[in-house]
Amino acid sequence: MKPSDVDVYAPPENSHVSPRALYVHVPFCRHRCGYCDFTLVADKDDLVPAYLKALENEVNRLDGEYEVDTIFIGGGTPTHLSTKQMERLAEILLSRFQLTAGGEFSVEANPDGLSDDIMKTLSGIGVNRISLGVQSFDPEVLKTLERQHTPVEAQAVIERSVDIFAQVSLDLIFGVPGQTFDSWIATLEAARQFPVRHISTYGLTFEKGTDFYRRLQQGRIQVAPDDLERDMYAAAMSQLARAGVPQYEISNFAAVGAECRHNTVYWQANEYFAFGPGAARYVNGVRSTNARNVSRWIHCWLNGKSALQEVEQLSDEEKRREAVFLGLRLVEGIDVSVFRDRFSSDVVEIANASAQQHLQTGLLEIADNHLRLTLDGRFLADTVMADFL
Amino acid sequence: MDARLIRNFSIIAHIDHGKSTLADQLLLKSGTITEREFRSQILDDLDIERDRGITVKARSVTIDYVYQGETYELNLIDTPGHVDFHYEVSRSLAACEGALLLIDAFQGVQAQTVANAYAAIEADLEIVPVVNKIDLAVTRIDEVLDEVETVLGLDGTDALRVSAKAGMNIESVFEAIIERLPPPAGVAKNPFKALVFDSKYDKYRGVVTYVRVVDGSVCKGDNIRFMREGVSSEVIELGQFRPGLVPCDELRPGQVGYILTGVKELNRITIGDTVTMARAPAAEPLPGYQKPKQMVFCGMYPLDATGFESLRDELQKLSLNDSSFSFQPETSDALGFGFRCGFLGMLHMEIVQQRLEREQDMDLIQTAPNVTYEIVNRRGDVMVIDNPQDVPDAGEIQEFKEPIARVTFIVPADNVGTIMQLSQDRRGIYKNTEFLGPQRAQVIYELPLSEIVYDMYDKLKSVTRGYGTMDYEIIGFEAADLVKMDVLVKGERVDALSTIVHRTTSDRRGRALVKRLKTEINKHQFEIAIQAAIGAKIIARETISAFRKNVTAKCYGGDISRKRKLLEKQKAGKKRMKQFGAVEIPQKAFLSVLEANRDE
Ligand SMILES: Nc1nc2c(ncn2[C@@H]2O[C@H](COP(=O)(O)OP(=O)(O)O)[C@@H](O)[C@H]2O)c(=O)[nH]1
Ligand code: SF4
Ligand SMILES: [Mg+2]
Repeated sequence: MKPSDVDVYAPPENSHVSPRALYVHVPFCRHRCGYCDFTLVADKDDLVPAYLKALENEVNRLDGEYEVDTIFIGGGTPTHLSTKQMERLAEILLSRFQLTAGGEFSVEANPDGLSDDIMKTLSGIGVNRISLGVQSFDPEVLKTLERQHTPVEAQAVIERSVDIFAQVSLDLIFGVPGQTFDSWIATLEAARQFPVRHISTYGLTFEKGTDFYRRLQQGRIQVAPDDLERDMYAAAMSQLARAGVPQYEISNFAAVGAECRHNTVYWQANEYFAFGPGAARYVNGVRSTNARNVSRWIHCWLNGKSALQEVEQLSDEEKRREAVFLGLRLVEGIDVSVFRDRFSSDVVEIANASAQQHLQTGLLEIADNHLRLTLDGRFLADTVMADFL
Repeated sequence: MDARLIRNFSIIAHIDHGKSTLADQLLLKSGTITEREFRSQILDDLDIERDRGITVKARSVTIDYVYQGETYELNLIDTPGHVDFHYEVSRSLAACEGALLLIDAFQGVQAQTVANAYAAIEADLEIVPVVNKIDLAVTRIDEVLDEVETVLGLDGTDALRVSAKAGMNIESVFEAIIERLPPPAGVAKNPFKALVFDSKYDKYRGVVTYVRVVDGSVCKGDNIRFMREGVSSEVIELGQFRPGLVPCDELRPGQVGYILTGVKELNRITIGDTVTMARAPAAEPLPGYQKPKQMVFCGMYPLDATGFESLRDELQKLSLNDSSFSFQPETSDALGFGFRCGFLGMLHMEIVQQRLEREQDMDLIQTAPNVTYEIVNRRGDVMVIDNPQDVPDAGEIQEFKEPIARVTFIVPADNVGTIMQLSQDRRGIYKNTEFLGPQRAQVIYELPLSEIVYDMYDKLKSVTRGYGTMDYEIIGFEAADLVKMDVLVKGERVDALSTIVHRTTSDRRGRALVKRLKTEINKHQFEIAIQAAIGAKIIARETISAFRKNVTAKCYGGDISRKRKLLEKQKAGKKRMKQFGAVEIPQKAFLSVLEANRDE
């Protein structure tokens, strides 16, 4: 579909699927880490004012005012903005979006340079959940990842966050070149010491266009062995469950009730608004992604023109299939009845047709009126999910 | 048309010495095509030929040229330039009185120059040596002419010197064609007799038969007869290649053109056949040609079973235009229903396969190619083996024979030792060496065809840094200590991976093969043993450990489209696999036998 064919900023039709979630992308970091392929510019703070102006234009392209249950400001490093800039950002968003009472308002942050001031500002604008890019408590691993903080700094930041925000989440990475199993266990152990109720673990991937990818191609860096990665992932599952933070999604662990509501919108294939470079939205059954090139996005919006990378109108069949692969990411799986009400089709039949062998070999199961991955299945989730596409 | 004003000729050359370029120039300079119509290398009208710059099928064109006040009719019959297509060269030459032997001014005489020149000498043609590319910064014209004399025994003094690319001295080519090549010697009053030297299938017109008239003449409406096939039919249309099909009223002695009849099936027209009149036939047919012999075979299977019929249709269509390609239905436990296809050589195989994949958009599994073998069983019967699966139990075999080729290498003198070593390693029998000058030598070996078809050419090019050339002809079958090597994947024999190997190299081949397969087959959820076996004896083994993790524990924010695309890509990769029991074997793995040989 050509981006010009649809108006992705058309107001959502009023229906039970209209978006009740908002994502905003803040594309600034101090330094680009070697493995990172997110949409961002490193060390280009002078672009922030133009970014904010462009963001304002993009947000205002949408008519009307909306109530949302969740807001998520991601990056990049949103907390790389100054307090003034952060306030301006909030002003832009809150002029058009209102968070319902008891709504979730998350911001991503990095331990380095996370000042008390910015935390207070965040709290002031209503942020009640902070997601910290801690990644590891092993200084060697942090160095490999080119992160700008030390374990000690991370510790201090977590402690202060816990005081300020109702919800604190930590991001941790495994499968890092040179990272040992013991190092990973120690990181999990350290994370458990804090009263945090949400942890995300990411297996490192080598994305095209990153420094890591190039080094891999040149043979200067090694991927972690398959078996080690599996063991690390398994360790996260068991250790965190024991600490009262069980897995609820492929990459996420939470105490009961502390699941990230915003991300759950994605996995349940519900709609959401999104703004900022590289941001992906789902409105009126259309998935669209903004230009990933930060300056192009800024340039376009400063001139009042939209900057889209791609637009995809999903057919009913595609919506259905997508709901299956996304729903399988959740540990509880897909509720057969809910699925039937929404798509007028039987998810068990779809599974029997597309993934019979996984049901037989025990990677998938149907239990408690849910279709879900088994524990074994979670390790091979991509294999299983691909069969539903 | 007066036969005195007709010349029928071919251009023969080693590949890349400029045959197509010269043909283009002749068409352009004579006004057969205009500058505007000029497409480079107009005679190579198949896409793949254009792509690879190789002429596969012989083609023909009629050129009018005014010389000293008279209009001559020059018929250029193009010939393929690759070893695989020798057969097509000889049948084109039979329709000519003369040939231009084109030689690169720097590269000089090469292996196919020799092979093609000999074919022309055998066909009793008048040969005009033409040194091409004289515009190059560095040429060795005098040495090249010496080579023409010493190697080919041709007189180099009157050789032409041209640049086909720059259009230099093209007039001298026309002049030589007219002055030095003899006109055809047909008799107009004799009964009509013409040679079928090619044919092609046209969707709208049926079979287009390419003929060269020897005696008598033919008109529209005549009732003609193909002598060997015994088929009679009315001439619906006849004409000449200018360069498209242009109808005319009559074809007379010496003329080259086409005939359309009611015949719709290409296989009813045999190349080399003689056409005559049904009512007043010629007494004797012209000497025919030998049928081409397929020497390389491979299995072609549709990726999923439903593709069988459409694969059959496509192969049928291809064979309409390529009578030197054969196919027979076969079955494999591993791959289901497919076809065993026969080719003149590896290049021919690659071209057919590409045509299927590219032009017909088919998803194919191709097994590793093998040469054809002969087995004499205990009862003394000779079996032709085109497929390793057909090899009987060892106890049944009295003699296992393989095809032997006489291979001519032309290499820089420095590389003679390396070539000899390479040939020795491949069970070659040394024949002789001849120096073509101080710097180059011709080395002749007899080698098993199986040792050369797959990669000898690549090896030769690499050891001679591109300067070596080779050519070969099959001289017969010889007994050797050959055995069938099977492959077991997870304990089960995958018939499509069986190969025939020489016993002395079987251990090495077996190890290389299982090692290769280990890299081709993805990890599964269980361990997979890959074994090579001769009879019941396991000679090599590798194990693919179970894969234990395939999950991208990452969420890409809300960019669901991206995540989906990654999964789709993974799925697309899977589509090109064949499910074999619980193991998925990617298409490419079936060619491992070939790759394993190259790895060594
Ligand atoms: N310099 C130069 N290059 C030539 C000449 N004739 C052909 N070539 C080049 O040689 C290559 C092979 O020519 P081609 O006609 O395809 O050779 P074929 O394989 O014998 O048909 C092409 O790149 C031509 O452009 C020539 O007279 N001079
Ligand atoms: S801090 Fe995070 S977003 Fe920024 S470059 Fe590093 S990994 Fe990427
Ligand atoms: Mg050519």
